[in-house]
Amino acid sequence: MKTFKGGFHVPDHKDLTASAAIEQMPLVTDYYVSLSQHIGKPAQPVVNVGDQVVEGQLIAQASSAISANVHSPVCGDVVEVVKRKNAQGVLVDTIHIRSNGRQDRQTLPALTDPTPQQIVERVAEAGIVGMGGAGFPTAVKLQPKDPVDSLVINAAECEPYLNCDNRLLLERTEQFLQGVRLLAKAIGVSNVYIGIEENKQQAYEKLLQQPHVIADTKEALASKQQDDIVVVQLKAKYPQGAEKTLIKACLNREVPVGGLPAAVGCIVDNVGTAYAVYDAVVNGVPLYKRLMTVSGGGINDPKNLEVAVGTPISAIVELCGGLKEDTVKLVSGGPMMGFSLMNTDVATTKTDSGFLALTDKEASSVLPTPCINCGRCASVCPMRLMPMYIDFYTTVGDTENAVKYGALNCFECGTCAYVCPAKRPIVQSVRLTKIKAKEKK
Amino acid sequence: MSYVYSSSPHIKSPRTTRSIMIDVCIALLPACLAGVILMFTANAAFPMLGALSLMHLVICCVTSVAAEWVFLLCCKKPFKQILAEFDFSSLVTGLLIGMNLYPTSKWYVGILASIFAVVVVKMLFGGTGKNLVNPAIAGRVFAFIAFGAAFGGAMSYVNPNTNSPMVFTSPISGGKVEGFDASGAVTGATPLQVLMGSAGTGATNTLSNLDLFLGTGVAGCIGETCKLALIVGGIYLVVRGVLNFRWPLVYIATTGVVSVLIAWISGCYNSEGVFIPELMGTKFAQAWEVFLPSILSGGLILGAIFMATDYVTTPNTKVGNYVYFVFLGILTAVLRKAVKGEAVSFAILLGNLVVPLIDMYIRRKPFGYVKPQKQRKAKPADEAVVAKEGD
Repeated sequence: MKTFKGGFHVPDHKDLTASAAIEQMPLVTDYYVSLSQHIGKPAQPVVNVGDQVVEGQLIAQASSAISANVHSPVCGDVVEVVKRKNAQGVLVDTIHIRSNGRQDRQTLPALTDPTPQQIVERVAEAGIVGMGGAGFPTAVKLQPKDPVDSLVINAAECEPYLNCDNRLLLERTEQFLQGVRLLAKAIGVSNVYIGIEENKQQAYEKLLQQPHVIADTKEALASKQQDDIVVVQLKAKYPQGAEKTLIKACLNREVPVGGLPAAVGCIVDNVGTAYAVYDAVVNGVPLYKRLMTVSGGGINDPKNLEVAVGTPISAIVELCGGLKEDTVKLVSGGPMMGFSLMNTDVATTKTDSGFLALTDKEASSVLPTPCINCGRCASVCPMRLMPMYIDFYTTVGDTENAVKYGALNCFECGTCAYVCPAKRPIVQSVRLTKIKAKEKK
Repeated sequence: MSYVYSSSPHIKSPRTTRSIMIDVCIALLPACLAGVILMFTANAAFPMLGALSLMHLVICCVTSVAAEWVFLLCCKKPFKQILAEFDFSSLVTGLLIGMNLYPTSKWYVGILASIFAVVVVKMLFGGTGKNLVNPAIAGRVFAFIAFGAAFGGAMSYVNPNTNSPMVFTSPISGGKVEGFDASGAVTGATPLQVLMGSAGTGATNTLSNLDLFLGTGVAGCIGETCKLALIVGGIYLVVRGVLNFRWPLVYIATTGVVSVLIAWISGCYNSEGVFIPELMGTKFAQAWEVFLPSILSGGLILGAIFMATDYVTTPNTKVGNYVYFVFLGILTAVLRKAVKGEAVSFAILLGNLVVPLIDMYIRRKPFGYVKPQKQRKAKPADEAVVAKEGD
C-alpha cells in the first residue's frame, strides 16, 4: 500500500461517528459570519447594518487577488458588523445576521457544460476556499503559474475523530465525482487521483463501483481511459492527508522545500472543496454550508452535521446533547492540527471540519519534562526535520539555529509532539520561531 | 467552566519518559536475577557471593535515587515536586552500576560510583537528558580507575566449612570462575584472550560458547554474565518500542567481525614477528573461531543493549547512529586486543564524547531538499552585477 516515509498511526477514534449519517443543522437565531474565512485579505462587506438579506446572497466581496466572497447563510437582517474572536482567538470583522425565520434563497444560474474559464469564474463567485483547513481561495489555485499535469483529491482524512469527508464520499458519491471532473476540466488535466486511507474501506469500495473510476492496480492502469479517475488506497497513517505527503504517496513526487504542489505539476483539492464546486456549478449554490463532525468523548451525542457558516458552536453543542462533565478541552478542527477554544462562543467557518470536546483521558495534559533525545520526533517527521533541535533552540531563544534546523519548512502537523515521551510543546516552539523569524525580516 | 487552552496537537501518545524508564528497569530485571542466581551457584562452598551481588544491586539503586533526591532538595525543590517529577532514570543508572560491579567489589565502591554517576555526571550537567556521557558507564569507569583492587580485587573471608582463611580474587571478566579457592590469587584467562593469543602461552580455554551464553561458571560483573537474560530484556525493549533492534546488532556484529580480522592478521605473524603471507588462507578460517567468544565475552552484550543505546548519548540521525555503533564496535575490538580488559566501557565512554561531533556533521536532508547548486552559480553573477553598479 502506498504511503510516505515517517508519520505515525495515531489511534483514529473514527468509530464514534463513522456510521452516523449526515444531518441538517436546524435554523438558529443568530449567525456570525466572519469576513476572514480564508488565507489572504478579509472580504469587503457589501451590505449595511439594517439591510435584509436572503440565504445565498453576497454579503462581502473578495478585496484583492487572494481573497474570497462571503455569502449569507440565512434569510434575515444584518444586525451589526463587529470584531469577534474566531477559533484561532484572533479578532476579525464579523457580520452578525439575525434570522427572520423565512427560507428564501438566492442562487446563481446553473451552468450546463461550462468552459474551464466559466468554472474558475464560478468558483471565485461562489467564494470557494480549500475546505481541508487551510482555506486557500480555490479559484487562485486553479490558475497555477507552473504547468500542471495532475489533480490529486485529498480523501485521506488522516485527522483522528473526523468523518465528514468519509460520510460525504459515502452519501454524495456521484455529486462528489462530478465536482472532481469539473475541477479537472478547469485546470485541463486528465490524470486525476483520489487518495483515500485504508480505514475508509466502505467509501473506497463505493467509489470503485462508480463508472469511470478505477483502482490503482497495474491491470487497471494499463487500460486507463482518458476520463478515468484513479482511486489510490493509502496506508492509514498521520499526516497522510497533508499536501506534500499525499503527492509523495500518490505520485511519488517530492515538492521542493518552500515550493507549492504546482512546482511538481500537481494541484491538491479536498473532498469538501470538490463537492462545493459541484454545488456551485451544477446547482448555482455558493459556499455557505459545510459538513462538520461533532465528536469526542465529551460530546453526549456525536454527529456528522451539515452546518451553515457562522453557526455558533454553542448551538451545535446543544443539538448534540451538550457536553459531558469531564470535558477538559474544546477543539475546532481535528485534534492534531485544530485550535483549542476557550468556550463555545465561537462561530463556524468554511474551513471547520469538526468540533471536538475531549475528556481528560483523551487530551493529555501531562506537563513537559526535559527532552531525553530519544529521536522519536525526527523518525516520525514527514518533512524529515529534526524537531528536537528546533524545540531546543527555540527554548533558549536562538531563532537563527531553529530556522537552520528547518523550523520554516514545518507545516505543524504535530506528529512529533504527539509521539514525544517528554511531552515537549514542539509545535508551539515552531510557531514561536516562525513569528520571530518574520519579525526579524 | 474553563477549558484547557493550548497549542495543537491536542492528543498525545501515552508514552512518557517515566514509562520508558520503567520499561528499561523491567528489561534489566532478568539479567539482575540471573546474575544473582549464578553467583549463588558459582561456588558451592561459598554461596555468600550471591548475597553480595544482591547487596550491591540494592545499595546502588538506593544510593542513586537518594543522590538525585538529595541533590534536588539542595536545589530547593519541594519534595512533593521531586516525587511527582521522578522519572526513574536514576533507578536505571543505579541498577546498571550494580550490574557492573563484581560480587567481590568492596561495599563502598557501589555507593561512591552511584553518587559520582548521578551527581557529577548527570545532575551537574543539568539532569535527565543533559548528560554528556552515560552515567552508568561513567560510574563504572570511575570505579575501575579510582578503586582498582577494591573494585574487582581480592577479598578475605573465613571459609565457614573449613575455618581456614580464604582469599577471593575476581578473575578477568569473562574468564572461568576459578579464583575462589584458598590458593589465593589465580587469574583466569578469558576464552577470547586464549583464542587471540594475548593470554600468554600455556593458557587454555575451559569455557564453551554455551557456558558463555548462559553465564554458567563464568566470572565477571553481576549483570553481564548471563547473555540469555540480557537478550530477553533486549527483546522486551524492542517489543515495547523502546529500543531499535538494529543498533545493538550493528555494535555486536562489528565487534565480532573486527575481532576476527584482528585475529586473522595477528595469526599470520610467526614467533619472530615476521608476516607470512602463505598463512593467510588457513588462518582466515581459524580466525572465525574468535567470532562467538568475542561476542559472548565480557560486558559487550550488556553494553550494547543497555548502555551504548542510551537515548541521551546517541546520535540523532540514522546515518549518525550507524557511524556511532560501527565506531563503538571497532573501538571495542581494538581496545580488547590492546589493553586486555575494560574495553567495552571505555569504548562507550569515548563514543559518547564523539556523539556531538557526529551530530554536528551528519544531518538529515529535509523532504524536498534541493541541492543549492543554482545559488552557487548565481552568486558570482550577483557579485559581478553589484561590482558594476559600484563602478
